[in-house]
Amino acid sequence: MYRLPRILILFFAAFFAAAPAAALSETIAIIVNRDNPQKALSRDEIRRIYTNSVLEWSDGTPVAIYDLSVDDPVREVFSGRVLRKAPSKVAQEWAHLKITNQAKNPPTAVKSESIIIRRIAREKGAIGYVSLSSVEGNPEVRIVNTIQ
Amino acid sequence: MRRFLIGAILALTAVLPGIALAEDQTRIDRLEQELRDLKQENQEIKKRLDGVAAESEETRDSFGRISSFVNISGYADAEFYLTDNDSDNAHFRVRHLSLFFIKDIQKEWRLFSEIEYEDAPFVESEHTTDDPGTVQGKLLVEQMYVEYHPELDWNVRAGRFITPAGLWNIYHYPPYVPTQTRPLMVRRIFPQVSDGVQLMYSFTAGESVVDTHLYVANGAGNPGRLDRNEEKAWGARAHLQQGSHGLGASVYREIDNVDILRNAFGLHYLWDFSPFRFQTEYQYRQNSPDTGSDFIDRGFYAQLTYDIGKWTLAARYDWYDPNGSQPQADIFRYTGAVNYHFAYNVVGKAEYNRNVFEDSTEDYNEVILAIVVAIGDL
Repeated sequence: MYRLPRILILFFAAFFAAAPAAALSETIAIIVNRDNPQKALSRDEIRRIYTNSVLEWSDGTPVAIYDLSVDDPVREVFSGRVLRKAPSKVAQEWAHLKITNQAKNPPTAVKSESIIIRRIAREKGAIGYVSLSSVEGNPEVRIVNTIQ
Repeated sequence: MRRFLIGAILALTAVLPGIALAEDQTRIDRLEQELRDLKQENQEIKKRLDGVAAESEETRDSFGRISSFVNISGYADAEFYLTDNDSDNAHFRVRHLSLFFIKDIQKEWRLFSEIEYEDAPFVESEHTTDDPGTVQGKLLVEQMYVEYHPELDWNVRAGRFITPAGLWNIYHYPPYVPTQTRPLMVRRIFPQVSDGVQLMYSFTAGESVVDTHLYVANGAGNPGRLDRNEEKAWGARAHLQQGSHGLGASVYREIDNVDILRNAFGLHYLWDFSPFRFQTEYQYRQNSPDTGSDFIDRGFYAQLTYDIGKWTLAARYDWYDPNGSQPQADIFRYTGAVNYHFAYNVVGKAEYNRNVFEDSTEDYNEVILAIVVAIGDL
Protein backbone atom coordinates (compact mmCIF):
# COMPACT_ATOMS: atom_id res chain seq x y z
CA MET A 1 0.00 0.00 0.00
CA TYR A 2 2.79 2.42 0.96
CA ARG A 3 5.31 1.33 -1.63
CA LEU A 4 3.33 1.72 -4.79
CA PRO A 5 3.12 5.53 -4.78
CA ARG A 6 6.85 5.70 -4.13
CA ILE A 7 7.60 3.47 -7.07
CA LEU A 8 5.30 5.57 -9.19
CA ILE A 9 7.02 8.76 -8.04
CA LEU A 10 10.42 7.25 -8.88
CA PHE A 11 9.15 6.16 -12.27
CA PHE A 12 7.81 9.60 -13.13
CA ALA A 13 10.95 11.26 -11.79
CA ALA A 14 13.05 9.10 -14.11
CA PHE A 15 10.61 9.70 -16.96
CA PHE A 16 10.61 13.46 -16.72
CA ALA A 17 14.33 13.68 -15.97
CA ALA A 18 14.90 13.56 -19.69
CA ALA A 19 13.13 16.91 -20.18
CA PRO A 20 15.25 19.51 -21.94
CA ALA A 21 17.41 21.57 -19.64
CA ALA A 22 17.52 25.36 -19.74
CA ALA A 23 20.72 26.75 -21.17
CA LEU A 24 22.69 29.93 -21.74
CA SER A 25 21.64 33.27 -20.33
CA GLU A 26 23.29 35.32 -23.08
CA THR A 27 21.19 37.49 -25.38
CA ILE A 28 20.81 36.16 -28.91
CA ALA A 29 20.75 38.43 -31.95
CA ILE A 30 18.81 37.60 -35.11
CA ILE A 31 20.82 39.01 -37.97
CA VAL A 32 20.38 39.66 -41.68
CA ASN A 33 22.58 41.19 -44.34
CA ARG A 34 22.94 44.98 -44.09
CA ASP A 35 21.27 45.38 -47.52
CA ASN A 36 18.22 43.37 -46.49
CA PRO A 37 15.04 45.45 -46.89
CA GLN A 38 13.77 44.22 -43.51
CA LYS A 39 14.59 46.59 -40.67
CA ALA A 40 13.07 44.45 -37.92
CA LEU A 41 11.43 41.04 -37.60
CA SER A 42 8.98 39.85 -34.97
CA ARG A 43 9.38 36.44 -33.33
CA ASP A 44 6.39 35.19 -35.30
CA GLU A 45 7.98 36.26 -38.57
CA ILE A 46 11.24 34.59 -37.60
CA ARG A 47 9.35 31.42 -36.66
CA ARG A 48 7.62 31.39 -40.04
CA ILE A 49 10.94 31.81 -41.85
CA TYR A 50 12.45 28.92 -39.89
CA THR A 51 9.48 26.61 -40.46
CA ASN A 52 9.28 26.28 -44.25
CA SER A 53 6.69 29.07 -44.63
CA VAL A 54 8.51 32.14 -45.99
CA LEU A 55 10.63 31.70 -49.06
CA GLU A 56 11.56 35.24 -50.09
CA TRP A 57 12.01 38.74 -48.69
CA SER A 58 9.74 41.64 -49.59
CA ASP A 59 12.03 42.60 -52.52
CA GLY A 60 11.91 39.08 -53.94
CA THR A 61 15.36 37.97 -52.78
CA PRO A 62 15.27 34.26 -51.83
CA VAL A 63 15.69 33.64 -48.10
CA ALA A 64 18.80 31.65 -47.13
CA ILE A 65 18.42 30.26 -43.60
CA TYR A 66 21.36 29.47 -41.33
CA ASP A 67 21.26 27.31 -38.25
CA LEU A 68 23.80 26.09 -35.70
CA SER A 69 24.42 22.43 -34.79
CA VAL A 70 21.68 20.60 -32.89
CA ASP A 71 23.78 20.49 -29.72
CA ASP A 72 24.85 24.16 -29.76
CA PRO A 73 23.63 26.02 -26.63
CA VAL A 74 22.77 29.12 -28.69
CA ARG A 75 20.54 27.00 -30.93
CA GLU A 76 18.91 25.46 -27.89
CA VAL A 77 17.86 28.88 -26.64
CA PHE A 78 16.79 30.09 -30.10
CA SER A 79 14.81 26.92 -30.73
CA GLY A 80 13.09 26.95 -27.37
CA ARG A 81 12.17 30.64 -27.36
CA VAL A 82 11.39 31.26 -31.02
CA LEU A 83 10.33 27.89 -32.44
CA ARG A 84 9.01 26.66 -29.06
CA LYS A 85 10.50 23.22 -29.59
CA ALA A 86 13.68 21.40 -28.67
CA PRO A 87 16.37 21.53 -31.42
CA SER A 88 16.21 17.74 -31.78
CA LYS A 89 12.47 17.93 -32.48
CA VAL A 90 12.97 20.66 -35.07
CA ALA A 91 15.78 18.62 -36.64
CA GLN A 92 13.48 15.59 -36.84
CA GLU A 93 10.79 17.64 -38.54
CA TRP A 94 13.23 19.00 -41.12
CA ALA A 95 14.60 15.51 -41.67
CA HIS A 96 11.07 14.26 -42.32
CA LEU A 97 10.45 17.09 -44.76
CA LYS A 98 13.76 16.42 -46.52
CA ILE A 99 13.24 12.66 -46.72
CA THR A 100 9.85 13.29 -48.32
CA ASN A 101 11.30 16.03 -50.54
CA GLN A 102 8.75 18.49 -49.17
CA ALA A 103 11.33 20.83 -47.65
CA LYS A 104 11.11 23.98 -49.75
CA ASN A 105 13.89 25.95 -48.11
CA PRO A 106 15.68 23.96 -45.41
CA PRO A 107 18.21 25.73 -43.16
CA THR A 108 21.91 25.18 -43.67
CA ALA A 109 23.49 24.04 -40.40
CA VAL A 110 27.01 25.33 -39.75
CA LYS A 111 29.35 24.68 -36.87
CA SER A 112 30.17 28.15 -35.61
CA GLU A 113 28.72 31.60 -35.16
CA SER A 114 31.64 33.10 -37.09
CA ILE A 115 30.56 31.23 -40.21
CA ILE A 116 27.00 32.45 -39.83
CA ILE A 117 28.22 36.04 -39.53
CA ARG A 118 30.53 35.69 -42.53
CA ARG A 119 27.84 34.10 -44.70
CA ILE A 120 25.25 36.70 -43.74
CA ALA A 121 27.71 39.49 -44.44
CA ARG A 122 28.16 38.01 -47.93
CA GLU A 123 24.64 36.89 -48.90
CA LYS A 124 21.87 39.47 -49.28
CA GLY A 125 19.04 37.05 -48.50
CA ALA A 126 20.66 35.32 -45.53
CA ILE A 127 19.30 35.18 -42.00
CA GLY A 128 20.78 33.59 -38.89
CA TYR A 129 21.16 33.91 -35.15
CA VAL A 130 24.27 34.33 -33.01
CA SER A 131 25.08 35.54 -29.53
CA LEU A 132 24.74 39.33 -29.34
CA SER A 133 28.29 39.87 -28.06
CA SER A 134 29.75 38.24 -31.18
CA VAL A 135 28.06 40.61 -33.59
CA GLU A 136 27.62 43.93 -31.78
CA GLY A 137 29.11 46.78 -33.77
CA ASN A 138 29.59 44.69 -36.93
CA PRO A 139 28.64 47.03 -39.81
CA GLU A 140 28.17 44.21 -42.34
CA VAL A 141 25.08 42.74 -40.70
CA ARG A 142 21.88 44.11 -39.23
CA ILE A 143 20.31 42.97 -35.99
CA VAL A 144 16.56 42.59 -36.59
CA ASN A 145 15.59 41.22 -33.20
CA THR A 146 17.17 40.15 -29.94
CA ILE A 147 16.13 37.33 -27.68
CA GLN A 148 16.88 37.46 -23.98
CA MET B 1 69.46 71.54 16.73
CA ARG B 2 67.63 68.73 18.42
CA ARG B 3 64.37 70.48 17.65
CA PHE B 4 65.38 70.82 14.00
CA LEU B 5 66.24 67.13 13.79
CA ILE B 6 62.95 66.10 15.38
CA GLY B 7 61.12 68.41 12.98
CA ALA B 8 62.96 66.96 9.98
CA ILE B 9 62.25 63.40 11.06
CA LEU B 10 58.57 64.19 11.57
CA ALA B 11 58.37 65.86 8.14
CA LEU B 12 60.06 62.92 6.44
CA THR B 13 57.72 60.48 8.22
CA ALA B 14 54.76 62.40 6.88
CA VAL B 15 56.03 62.80 3.27
CA LEU B 16 57.72 59.41 2.58
CA PRO B 17 54.58 57.21 2.68
CA GLY B 18 52.94 59.66 0.27
CA ILE B 19 55.86 59.29 -2.15
CA ALA B 20 55.75 55.51 -1.75
CA LEU B 21 51.99 55.47 -2.31
CA ALA B 22 52.30 57.60 -5.42
CA GLU B 23 54.92 55.20 -6.78
CA ASP B 24 52.65 52.21 -5.99
CA GLN B 25 49.72 53.91 -7.74
CA THR B 26 51.81 54.54 -10.85
CA ARG B 27 52.89 50.91 -10.85
CA ILE B 28 49.27 49.73 -10.47
CA ASP B 29 48.18 52.02 -13.32
CA ARG B 30 50.95 50.66 -15.49
CA LEU B 31 49.99 47.08 -14.64
CA GLU B 32 46.34 47.80 -15.35
CA GLN B 33 47.23 49.29 -18.72
CA GLU B 34 49.34 46.23 -19.51
CA LEU B 35 46.45 44.01 -18.52
CA ARG B 36 44.08 45.92 -20.79
CA ASP B 37 46.58 45.68 -23.66
CA LEU B 38 46.93 41.94 -23.07
CA LYS B 39 43.16 41.49 -23.01
CA GLN B 40 42.78 43.38 -26.26
CA GLU B 41 45.58 41.39 -27.83
CA ASN B 42 43.97 38.22 -26.59
CA GLN B 43 40.64 39.21 -28.12
CA GLU B 44 42.27 40.01 -31.43
CA ILE B 45 44.07 36.67 -31.46
CA LYS B 46 40.80 34.93 -30.58
CA LYS B 47 39.01 36.73 -33.40
CA ARG B 48 41.78 35.82 -35.82
CA LEU B 49 41.68 32.19 -34.72
CA ASP B 50 37.89 32.20 -35.11
CA GLY B 51 38.32 33.55 -38.61
CA VAL B 52 40.86 30.86 -39.45
CA ALA B 53 38.53 28.17 -38.07
CA ALA B 54 35.59 29.62 -40.01
CA GLU B 55 37.62 29.77 -43.21
CA SER B 56 38.79 26.20 -42.82
CA GLU B 57 35.24 25.02 -42.14
CA GLU B 58 33.95 26.90 -45.17
CA THR B 59 36.68 25.38 -47.29
CA ARG B 60 35.80 21.93 -45.98
CA ASP B 61 32.11 22.66 -46.59
CA SER B 62 32.66 23.82 -50.16
CA PHE B 63 34.93 20.88 -50.82
CA GLY B 64 32.30 18.54 -49.38
CA ARG B 65 29.65 20.02 -51.63
CA ILE B 66 31.80 19.92 -54.72
CA SER B 67 33.04 16.43 -54.06
CA SER B 68 29.71 14.89 -53.06
CA PHE B 69 28.54 13.10 -56.13
CA VAL B 70 25.20 11.82 -54.86
CA ASN B 71 23.64 12.44 -51.47
CA ILE B 72 22.78 9.10 -49.89
CA SER B 73 20.41 8.94 -46.95
CA GLY B 74 17.62 6.71 -45.73
CA TYR B 75 16.37 4.71 -42.82
CA ALA B 76 16.29 1.19 -41.45
CA ASP B 77 14.26 -0.59 -38.83
CA ALA B 78 14.07 -3.97 -37.16
CA GLU B 79 11.22 -5.15 -34.98
CA PHE B 80 9.88 -7.91 -32.82
CA TYR B 81 6.23 -8.70 -33.40
CA LEU B 82 4.04 -10.50 -30.90
CA THR B 83 0.38 -11.38 -31.44
CA ASP B 84 -2.45 -13.60 -30.26
CA ASN B 85 -3.83 -13.76 -33.81
CA ASP B 86 -4.30 -17.46 -34.69
CA SER B 87 -3.12 -16.92 -38.26
CA ASP B 88 0.19 -15.36 -37.25
CA ASN B 89 2.98 -15.97 -34.78
CA ALA B 90 5.61 -14.04 -32.90
CA HIS B 91 8.61 -13.15 -35.05
CA PHE B 92 11.52 -10.84 -35.63
CA ARG B 93 11.29 -8.75 -38.75
CA VAL B 94 14.03 -6.91 -40.60
CA ARG B 95 11.41 -4.59 -41.91
CA HIS B 96 12.89 -1.76 -43.93
CA LEU B 97 16.13 -0.71 -45.45
CA SER B 98 15.25 2.31 -47.54
CA LEU B 99 17.92 4.22 -49.36
CA PHE B 100 17.47 7.65 -50.87
CA PHE B 101 19.77 8.71 -53.66
CA ILE B 102 19.46 12.42 -54.28
CA LYS B 103 21.45 14.37 -56.80
CA ASP B 104 21.20 18.10 -57.30
CA ILE B 105 22.07 18.74 -60.92
CA GLN B 106 23.05 22.37 -61.29
CA LYS B 107 20.67 24.71 -59.50
CA GLU B 108 17.29 23.84 -60.92
CA TRP B 109 17.31 20.10 -61.49
CA ARG B 110 17.27 17.27 -59.04
CA LEU B 111 17.06 13.49 -59.20
CA PHE B 112 15.23 12.03 -56.23
CA SER B 113 14.98 8.29 -55.72
CA GLU B 114 14.11 5.85 -52.98
CA ILE B 115 14.96 2.19 -53.19
CA GLU B 116 13.28 0.10 -50.57
CA TYR B 117 14.37 -3.34 -49.45
CA GLU B 118 11.49 -4.64 -47.38
CA ASP B 119 11.82 -7.75 -45.23
CA ALA B 120 15.45 -8.19 -46.26
CA PRO B 121 14.95 -9.64 -49.77
CA PHE B 122 16.58 -12.94 -50.51
CA VAL B 123 16.86 -13.91 -54.14
CA GLU B 124 19.46 -16.39 -55.31
CA SER B 125 19.30 -17.48 -58.93
CA GLU B 126 21.29 -20.69 -58.44
CA HIS B 127 18.64 -22.17 -56.20
CA THR B 128 16.19 -22.73 -59.00
CA THR B 129 14.48 -25.49 -57.06
CA ASP B 130 13.32 -23.05 -54.40
CA ASP B 131 9.58 -22.78 -54.30
CA PRO B 132 8.05 -19.29 -54.15
CA GLY B 133 7.47 -19.74 -50.45
CA THR B 134 11.18 -19.60 -49.74
CA VAL B 135 11.71 -16.37 -51.66
CA GLN B 136 11.31 -13.56 -49.21
CA GLY B 137 11.19 -9.82 -49.07
CA LYS B 138 10.42 -7.07 -51.53
CA LEU B 139 12.66 -4.84 -53.58
CA LEU B 140 10.83 -1.71 -54.66
CA VAL B 141 11.63 1.53 -56.41
CA GLU B 142 9.31 3.52 -54.20
CA GLN B 143 10.20 6.85 -55.76
CA MET B 144 12.22 7.92 -58.75
CA TYR B 145 11.59 11.24 -60.35
CA VAL B 146 13.34 14.10 -62.03
CA GLU B 147 12.44 17.43 -60.49
CA TYR B 148 12.65 20.84 -62.07
CA HIS B 149 12.48 23.73 -59.58
CA PRO B 150 13.31 27.12 -61.08
CA GLU B 151 11.92 28.85 -57.95
CA LEU B 152 11.54 27.76 -54.34
CA ASP B 153 7.75 27.97 -54.56
CA TRP B 154 7.05 25.65 -57.47
CA ASN B 155 8.39 22.49 -59.04
CA VAL B 156 7.49 19.82 -61.56
CA ARG B 157 8.24 16.16 -60.97
CA ALA B 158 8.18 13.42 -63.58
CA GLY B 159 8.51 9.75 -62.70
CA ARG B 160 7.26 7.78 -59.71
CA PHE B 161 6.31 9.74 -56.62
CA ILE B 162 4.47 9.18 -53.37
CA THR B 163 0.83 10.00 -54.16
CA PRO B 164 0.24 13.42 -52.60
CA ALA B 165 -2.84 12.69 -50.49
CA GLY B 166 -3.64 13.61 -46.91
CA LEU B 167 -0.90 13.56 -44.29
CA TRP B 168 0.17 10.00 -43.57
CA ASN B 169 0.66 9.02 -47.17
CA ILE B 170 3.35 11.71 -47.51
CA TYR B 171 4.74 11.96 -43.98
CA HIS B 172 4.99 8.32 -43.00
CA TYR B 173 8.66 7.46 -42.53
CA PRO B 174 9.30 5.25 -39.49
CA PRO B 175 11.98 7.39 -37.82
CA TYR B 176 9.51 10.29 -37.65
CA VAL B 177 6.13 8.71 -36.95
CA PRO B 178 5.29 7.21 -33.56
CA THR B 179 3.98 3.84 -34.76
CA GLN B 180 5.24 1.04 -36.96
CA THR B 181 1.74 0.29 -38.22
CA ARG B 182 0.04 2.76 -40.53
CA PRO B 183 -3.62 3.74 -40.19
CA LEU B 184 -5.89 1.07 -41.70
CA MET B 185 -7.23 3.16 -44.59
CA VAL B 186 -3.84 4.42 -45.77
CA ARG B 187 -2.90 3.01 -49.22
CA ARG B 188 -6.35 1.43 -49.57
CA ILE B 189 -8.30 4.47 -50.75
CA PHE B 190 -5.53 6.55 -52.33
CA PRO B 191 -2.67 4.61 -53.96
CA GLN B 192 0.74 4.55 -52.27
CA VAL B 193 2.67 5.72 -55.33
CA SER B 194 1.83 7.15 -58.72
CA ASP B 195 3.72 7.05 -62.01
CA GLY B 196 3.21 10.29 -63.88
CA VAL B 197 3.78 14.03 -63.73
CA GLN B 198 3.17 16.27 -60.75
CA LEU B 199 3.10 20.06 -60.35
CA MET B 200 3.63 21.52 -56.90
CA TYR B 201 2.95 25.18 -56.21
CA SER B 202 3.08 27.08 -52.91
CA PHE B 203 1.80 30.55 -52.20
CA THR B 204 1.05 32.75 -49.25
CA ALA B 205 -2.33 34.22 -48.42
CA GLY B 206 -1.87 36.70 -45.62
CA GLU B 207 -0.27 34.81 -42.76
CA SER B 208 -1.15 31.43 -44.28
CA VAL B 209 0.84 29.23 -46.61
CA VAL B 210 -0.95 27.09 -49.16
CA ASP B 211 0.77 24.09 -50.74
CA THR B 212 -0.91 22.58 -53.78
CA HIS B 213 -0.22 19.45 -55.82
CA LEU B 214 -1.76 18.52 -59.14
CA TYR B 215 -0.86 15.31 -60.94
CA VAL B 216 -1.68 12.96 -63.79
CA ALA B 217 -0.67 9.31 -63.51
CA ASN B 218 -1.23 5.81 -64.85
CA GLY B 219 -3.58 4.90 -62.02
CA ALA B 220 -3.40 2.47 -59.12
CA GLY B 221 -1.81 -0.87 -59.88
CA ASN B 222 -0.12 0.29 -63.09
CA PRO B 223 3.56 0.48 -62.40
CA GLY B 224 6.06 1.57 -65.00
CA ARG B 225 5.03 0.92 -68.60
CA LEU B 226 2.39 -1.63 -67.57
CA ASP B 227 -0.55 0.72 -67.88
CA ARG B 228 -3.33 -1.70 -68.57
CA ASN B 229 -5.90 0.74 -69.87
CA GLU B 230 -6.14 3.95 -71.87
CA GLU B 231 -7.60 5.92 -68.98
CA LYS B 232 -5.33 8.11 -66.93
CA ALA B 233 -5.81 8.96 -63.29
CA TRP B 234 -5.60 12.49 -61.95
CA GLY B 235 -5.47 13.88 -58.47
CA ALA B 236 -4.92 17.03 -56.45
CA ARG B 237 -4.10 18.03 -52.92
CA ALA B 238 -4.23 21.37 -51.13
CA HIS B 239 -2.90 22.09 -47.67
CA LEU B 240 -3.33 25.38 -45.84
CA GLN B 241 -1.02 26.10 -42.92
CA GLN B 242 -1.99 28.90 -40.57
CA GLY B 243 0.31 29.03 -37.57
CA SER B 244 0.04 25.74 -35.73
CA HIS B 245 -3.08 24.64 -37.64
CA GLY B 246 -2.98 22.77 -40.93
CA LEU B 247 -6.05 21.89 -42.96
CA GLY B 248 -6.31 20.22 -46.32
CA ALA B 249 -8.19 18.19 -48.89
CA SER B 250 -7.26 15.59 -51.50
CA VAL B 251 -9.02 14.11 -54.52
CA TYR B 252 -8.18 11.24 -56.88
CA ARG B 253 -10.08 9.92 -59.87
CA GLU B 254 -9.38 6.90 -62.03
CA ILE B 255 -10.93 4.08 -63.99
CA ASP B 256 -9.04 1.04 -62.83
CA ASN B 257 -8.06 -2.10 -64.70
CA VAL B 258 -11.38 -3.84 -64.05
CA ASP B 259 -13.34 -0.82 -65.29
CA ILE B 260 -14.40 0.52 -61.95
CA LEU B 261 -14.63 4.30 -61.85
CA ARG B 262 -13.15 5.33 -58.53
CA ASN B 263 -13.55 8.80 -57.06
CA ALA B 264 -11.66 9.30 -53.81
CA PHE B 265 -11.87 12.31 -51.49
CA GLY B 266 -9.97 13.06 -48.34
CA LEU B 267 -9.87 15.69 -45.61
CA HIS B 268 -7.06 16.17 -43.14
CA TYR B 269 -6.38 18.37 -40.16
CA LEU B 270 -3.24 18.92 -38.11
CA TRP B 271 -2.77 20.87 -34.90
CA ASP B 272 0.78 21.23 -33.65
CA PHE B 273 0.52 22.74 -30.18
CA SER B 274 3.91 21.65 -28.96
CA PRO B 275 4.47 19.44 -26.99
CA PHE B 276 1.16 18.03 -28.24
CA ARG B 277 0.40 17.21 -31.84
CA PHE B 278 -2.95 16.12 -33.13
CA GLN B 279 -3.64 14.81 -36.62
CA THR B 280 -6.70 13.31 -38.19
CA GLU B 281 -7.81 12.21 -41.64
CA TYR B 282 -11.02 11.07 -43.23
CA GLN B 283 -11.09 9.40 -46.64
CA TYR B 284 -14.03 8.31 -48.73
CA ARG B 285 -14.20 6.55 -52.09
CA GLN B 286 -17.10 6.05 -54.41
CA ASN B 287 -16.64 2.93 -56.58
CA SER B 288 -18.78 2.63 -59.72
CA PRO B 289 -18.31 -0.65 -61.61
CA ASP B 290 -19.13 -0.83 -65.31
CA THR B 291 -21.72 -3.44 -64.44
CA GLY B 292 -23.22 -3.92 -61.01
CA SER B 293 -24.05 -1.53 -58.24
CA ASP B 294 -21.93 1.19 -56.72
CA PHE B 295 -20.26 0.76 -53.36
CA ILE B 296 -18.13 2.90 -51.10
CA ASP B 297 -15.13 2.35 -48.88
CA ARG B 298 -14.03 4.85 -46.28
CA GLY B 299 -11.83 5.30 -43.25
CA PHE B 300 -10.87 7.62 -40.46
CA TYR B 301 -8.16 7.97 -37.85
CA ALA B 302 -7.28 10.44 -35.12
CA GLN B 303 -3.87 10.49 -33.48
CA LEU B 304 -2.54 12.46 -30.54
CA THR B 305 1.14 12.57 -29.59
CA TYR B 306 2.87 14.15 -26.64
CA ASP B 307 6.62 14.89 -26.50
CA ILE B 308 8.38 15.04 -23.18
CA GLY B 309 12.16 15.23 -23.36
CA LYS B 310 13.39 12.18 -25.19
CA TRP B 311 10.02 10.45 -24.96
CA THR B 312 7.01 10.53 -27.23
CA LEU B 313 3.67 9.09 -26.18
CA ALA B 314 1.03 8.39 -28.82
CA ALA B 315 -2.55 7.20 -28.99
CA ARG B 316 -4.58 6.53 -32.14
CA TYR B 317 -8.10 5.52 -33.00
CA ASP B 318 -8.56 3.90 -36.37
CA TRP B 319 -11.52 2.76 -38.46
CA TYR B 320 -11.82 1.32 -41.95
CA ASP B 321 -14.95 0.26 -43.78
CA PRO B 322 -14.02 -1.68 -46.93
CA ASN B 323 -17.58 -1.81 -48.20
CA GLY B 324 -20.30 0.56 -47.04
CA SER B 325 -23.04 -1.88 -47.95
CA GLN B 326 -21.56 -4.56 -45.69
CA PRO B 327 -21.35 -3.09 -42.17
CA GLN B 328 -20.10 -6.40 -40.80
CA ALA B 329 -16.78 -5.86 -42.62
CA ASP B 330 -15.72 -2.82 -40.56
CA ILE B 331 -12.35 -2.94 -38.79
CA PHE B 332 -11.39 -0.85 -35.76
CA ARG B 333 -8.00 -0.47 -34.18
CA TYR B 334 -6.91 1.14 -30.92
CA THR B 335 -3.21 1.95 -30.70
CA GLY B 336 -0.96 3.10 -27.89
CA ALA B 337 2.77 3.72 -28.39
CA VAL B 338 5.81 4.90 -26.48
CA ASN B 339 8.92 6.13 -28.30
CA TYR B 340 12.31 6.84 -26.81
CA HIS B 341 14.64 9.02 -28.88
CA PHE B 342 18.18 7.82 -28.18
CA ALA B 343 19.32 10.55 -30.57
CA TYR B 344 17.34 12.70 -32.94
CA ASN B 345 17.81 10.06 -35.62
CA VAL B 346 17.61 6.87 -33.50
CA VAL B 347 14.33 5.89 -31.91
CA GLY B 348 13.09 2.88 -29.97
CA LYS B 349 9.37 2.12 -30.15
CA ALA B 350 6.95 0.01 -28.16
CA GLU B 351 3.49 -0.23 -29.70
CA TYR B 352 0.29 -1.98 -28.75
CA ASN B 353 -2.62 -2.50 -31.17
CA ARG B 354 -6.03 -3.88 -30.38
CA ASN B 355 -7.79 -4.89 -33.59
CA VAL B 356 -11.55 -5.17 -33.28
CA PHE B 357 -13.95 -6.71 -35.80
CA GLU B 358 -17.73 -6.89 -36.01
CA ASP B 359 -17.34 -10.58 -35.27
CA SER B 360 -15.58 -10.43 -31.92
CA THR B 361 -14.08 -13.91 -32.34
CA GLU B 362 -11.74 -12.35 -34.92
CA ASP B 363 -10.38 -9.72 -32.52
CA TYR B 364 -6.68 -9.87 -31.83
CA ASN B 365 -3.87 -7.93 -30.15
CA GLU B 366 -0.39 -7.01 -31.35
CA VAL B 367 2.72 -5.79 -29.60
CA ILE B 368 5.59 -4.40 -31.67
CA LEU B 369 9.02 -3.50 -30.32
CA ALA B 370 11.19 -1.72 -32.85
CA ILE B 371 14.46 0.11 -33.26
CA VAL B 372 14.61 2.63 -36.09
CA VAL B 373 17.45 4.73 -37.44
CA ALA B 374 17.63 7.50 -40.00
CA ILE B 375 20.90 7.61 -41.90
CA GLY B 376 22.80 10.15 -43.91
CA ASP B 377 22.80 13.90 -44.14
CA LEU B 378 19.23 14.74 -43.13
